[in-house]
Amino acid sequence: MMNNVELEVKNLNFYYAGCSEPALKNINFPVYKHKVTALIGPSGCGKTTLLRCFNRMHDLYPGNRYEGEILFRGRNLLAPEVDLIELRSKIGMVFQKPTPFPMSIFDNVAYGLRLRGIKNKKELAERVEKALREAVLWDEVKDRLKDNAFSLSGGQQQRLCIARAIAVEPEVILFDEPTAALDPISTGKIEDLIVQLKEKITIVIVTHNMQQAARISDFTAFMYLGELVEFGPTEKIFTNPDKKLTEEYISGRFG
Amino acid sequence: MRERVLKIRKLTSAVILTITALCALWGIFWLFFVIFDVIRNGIASINLSLFLETPTPPGVPGGGLKHAFIGHFLITLGAISLGIPIGILAGTFLAEYGRNYRISKVISYLADTMITVPAILIGAFVYAIMVKPLGSFSGWSGSVALAIIMLPVVIRATEHMLKLVPWTMREAAFALGAPYYKVILQVLYPATRMGLLTGAILAIAREIGEAAPLLFTSFNNNFLSYDMSGPMASLTVTIFVYAMGPYDYWHSQAWAAAFVIAMTILILNFIARIILKGGKHYY
Repeated sequence: MMNNVELEVKNLNFYYAGCSEPALKNINFPVYKHKVTALIGPSGCGKTTLLRCFNRMHDLYPGNRYEGEILFRGRNLLAPEVDLIELRSKIGMVFQKPTPFPMSIFDNVAYGLRLRGIKNKKELAERVEKALREAVLWDEVKDRLKDNAFSLSGGQQQRLCIARAIAVEPEVILFDEPTAALDPISTGKIEDLIVQLKEKITIVIVTHNMQQAARISDFTAFMYLGELVEFGPTEKIFTNPDKKLTEEYISGRFG
Repeated sequence: MRERVLKIRKLTSAVILTITALCALWGIFWLFFVIFDVIRNGIASINLSLFLETPTPPGVPGGGLKHAFIGHFLITLGAISLGIPIGILAGTFLAEYGRNYRISKVISYLADTMITVPAILIGAFVYAIMVKPLGSFSGWSGSVALAIIMLPVVIRATEHMLKLVPWTMREAAFALGAPYYKVILQVLYPATRMGLLTGAILAIAREIGEAAPLLFTSFNNNFLSYDMSGPMASLTVTIFVYAMGPYDYWHSQAWAAAFVIAMTILILNFIARIILKGGKHYY
């Protein structure tokens, strides 16, 4: 089983700048390779905070502090000497609101590739096309790659952001409520996409939508007030959870 | 009793309305008076030789202000190439790298204050730090004085525009492994380019009509000069000198120059408005 663990969270505490109370308390769970792991829980429970630990997004803001470890292929990614640029090229992220850059559709997808020093035009074109195909956006944009990315619809923009994230071939992609700002049809497309992506990529997704977690995830972590209440296979969490709190949340009695 | 109260209220309302309307009229009247006067006298005096000919000896009618147009252009160009890059970089520091430092707030506040500092003080300041040590008036010192006038406008515009870009756009770039300077150059500047351009144009409109800071710095020159290290004519100082002078043809040339400057400022402001309104905002 150990070989199938992509990320292992060990005794993780996280403190926001200026807070003596941790926002995450003693979190322990594994993220399995090429599976979808959903983080669920009521607002303010710390699921997004946890997600942003995986790519050290908290480092952007001074004073935030981690304790404990997150092992990524045996190495603690929270160690100070970890190269964040390299880390973030292996662990990508897709945000709640689509975040296209003010440039063409092509340049958006090529952005991460160029950051990695790929300049060869042919290689760029190939990898952009591959990423757009994998994000099921190619057919919609192949004739307008030079158009500004803001000319796309919200759902298309979000798939563009996914294409941008997968273009650099990361091992893991973190999704922070990727469909919260989208209509049901776009949401369906993104969900299908996530399920396809897990063949090659490990996925961690934060979602407020319980049905979404049930539909697409293999494992579910239920969080409450900064603690991990229960972690297990999604089927078990949704049908026969060990903890009463989990059951109450799943059945909609609070949250 | 109720009717009386209503009557008083209506009367008060009418009085206040009249007073405010009169005040507005008073202000607008002078504004239009000045502009129309400049346009009327300027159009009457403007001709091609104003741009193409250098001045005649004092008292001999004719000639033009080519020396002042060229001088003004060069000094302004110098001011733009100093003021806009420095202003944009300083504004970038305030909005990005320095956003968590208290000093940034202090600098922003000082920049706001500097917008209203009398321009002549800035002229005297540059005289003290540049003209005096170097021993002569120069076009360069005029550029520095005008650049200082532009700085707070550009700094605040840049800071404001960058702060309008949502943080998620930066985070998205960071999440792809971009270092901060690339996020700024490749994502934030393109996203705010219209706003930055508008800020730059407004800053140019702000400094282009200044005479006071040039009096102590580029001073004046009756001859055509391309040498930025020596005294240089400018339109605004020429207007000042010619308007005070004794000759009628000087007065009309000053009107024409005032007209050109007023129109330039008007057009610059107009362009800035169009860009702000019509420009796409990528965030």
